[in-house]
Amino acid sequence: MKQFFSLGALCLLLALAIPAYGDIAKPKEKPSPSPELPKFVLHTRLVVVPDNKAWEAKLQISQSSLQELRAALGNGNESTAQSITRSSTRTIIAGVFMFLSLSFAGVWLARSVQTRGQKAVAALLFGMAVIGATAMITQANAGPPGSYYWKKLPQNLTKGAPTSGGLDIEIVPDGDIGSSGMQLVLPIKPN
Amino acid sequence: MERTANIDLAAWRADSASLVVNRQLSLRVFAGALIFCACFSALFASWLPLQFSVVTVFLFAGPHNWFELRYFLTRLPVRFGKSRNFFLTAFSGIAFLTVGYIALPVLYSFNLFPDHLWPTLLASWNSLLLLWIGVLVWLRGKNKLRRDWSWALPVTFGLCALNWLAPEFFSLSIVYLHPLVALWFLDRHLVRTRPEWLGTYRRCLCLLPLLLVGMFWQLSRTAALPDDNGLFWRITQHAGAQLLPNVSSHALVTTHVFLEMLHYGVWLVALPLIAPLAKTGKSQNLSTPRREAIWRLKTVPIARHPRGFPKLVATALGLGLFFVLILWFGFSVDYATTRDVYFTVAIAHVLAEAPFLLRML
Repeated sequence: MKQFFSLGALCLLLALAIPAYGDIAKPKEKPSPSPELPKFVLHTRLVVVPDNKAWEAKLQISQSSLQELRAALGNGNESTAQSITRSSTRTIIAGVFMFLSLSFAGVWLARSVQTRGQKAVAALLFGMAVIGATAMITQANAGPPGSYYWKKLPQNLTKGAPTSGGLDIEIVPDGDIGSSGMQLVLPIKPN
Repeated sequence: MERTANIDLAAWRADSASLVVNRQLSLRVFAGALIFCACFSALFASWLPLQFSVVTVFLFAGPHNWFELRYFLTRLPVRFGKSRNFFLTAFSGIAFLTVGYIALPVLYSFNLFPDHLWPTLLASWNSLLLLWIGVLVWLRGKNKLRRDWSWALPVTFGLCALNWLAPEFFSLSIVYLHPLVALWFLDRHLVRTRPEWLGTYRRCLCLLPLLLVGMFWQLSRTAALPDDNGLFWRITQHAGAQLLPNVSSHALVTTHVFLEMLHYGVWLVALPLIAPLAKTGKSQNLSTPRREAIWRLKTVPIARHPRGFPKLVATALGLGLFFVLILWFGFSVDYATTRDVYFTVAIAHVLAEAPFLLRML
């Protein structure tokens, strides 16, 4: 009986050891050189203009955009506008303060002014604060998606009309876009 | 009690017709000196911005802080009275915000926070500063019976919102706006001591935007200043060259140095000499005001008052003088490091200006 109990305990121990062993972390693989990730450096606007007189495609960059691009590349930092739009926490806090500002301004105006016109301004300010807060809670400061602006590109190209929309400038490792020096990716869904 | 300083200042107002001619002359000298100083500063700041910045900070940074300290002591009431909450908030805010500001570069050197968190930390400090000023304005407004200062709260929150959108730019705006506060101090001081000069002073102030626009117009297309040297790099960074890459660093440094020169001019020349603050008890004669030496302890109301604190004032001014000497020694030994330390610690005097200016409004 005693031997049977010992055998049972051994079996139980082995049975427990299997899942326990299974929990041991896999040996670490040698770190392979990670591929360089694409990096967003600047957000700007792009206009696609069909030109029936041109012989070669041209990429025209404004002086200020080039300087911003240089600064972004040189500093390794985001541009100011980009840092604002990409930092959701800061945008939310700024929105909260703006809401408080407009609300207090409305209350202050309502308390301090006497005429009906001034009270209307106070009500307007308070309304703006409420609308701002609602927008912030629902969608923050999000605009329409980029594809909204670009979806008319095929029709505009057919008509010979220009199309403009947002553009992220992304630096990618050599070879990622074949032998091309530049590649334009447009958010257009086929019908 | 808290009006003691104001009574002294009021005593300096002239009431004698015999002094009219002299006053007209003084007024012309005052206006001429203002215009000359502004043009001289603009000229040198545009011509040799980096060198001028190095020399002016070396010579005037410490002494102007001593003069500010002395000025604030003269504005301090013997008893806080109804302004107790205002002064408690002011002093605790100055201490807390100064420690917080000094802690930022210390934390940075220890690499405790990732890079992307720094704008948030900076925005938090700026928000605390704005909220502190907002509370001070509100407290000050409570003592004003005829004016409603509750607008301070929406303005404070609005500025906080802007600060959170671009905290680095907000900090840069403090660098450029702080020198202008001295001009506001001078304005308020003239209202109390030489009201007849106020119109001329304000007309002279119209020259300031013209000079600024002229300097920017001339320098905005010039090449960037050479910042390969560590010290020159610090000066251009302080003026915002990294944040505003599209603006010539020459224009930025020139503007900053020009404003700093005006700031030093007000604290070191205009306020102590043009508008003397106080006189000794024995010479209290309204028709014959006498200028007292600025180092005399009795010129400070809280030291002169029977229930005042002469020893405390003497210690504060003595310590201030000691720090001025230490600063000069530091600049002589290692200018760049001392400049960094100075501009970090000097946030205390920037903060102290807020409550004392509010007391004069």
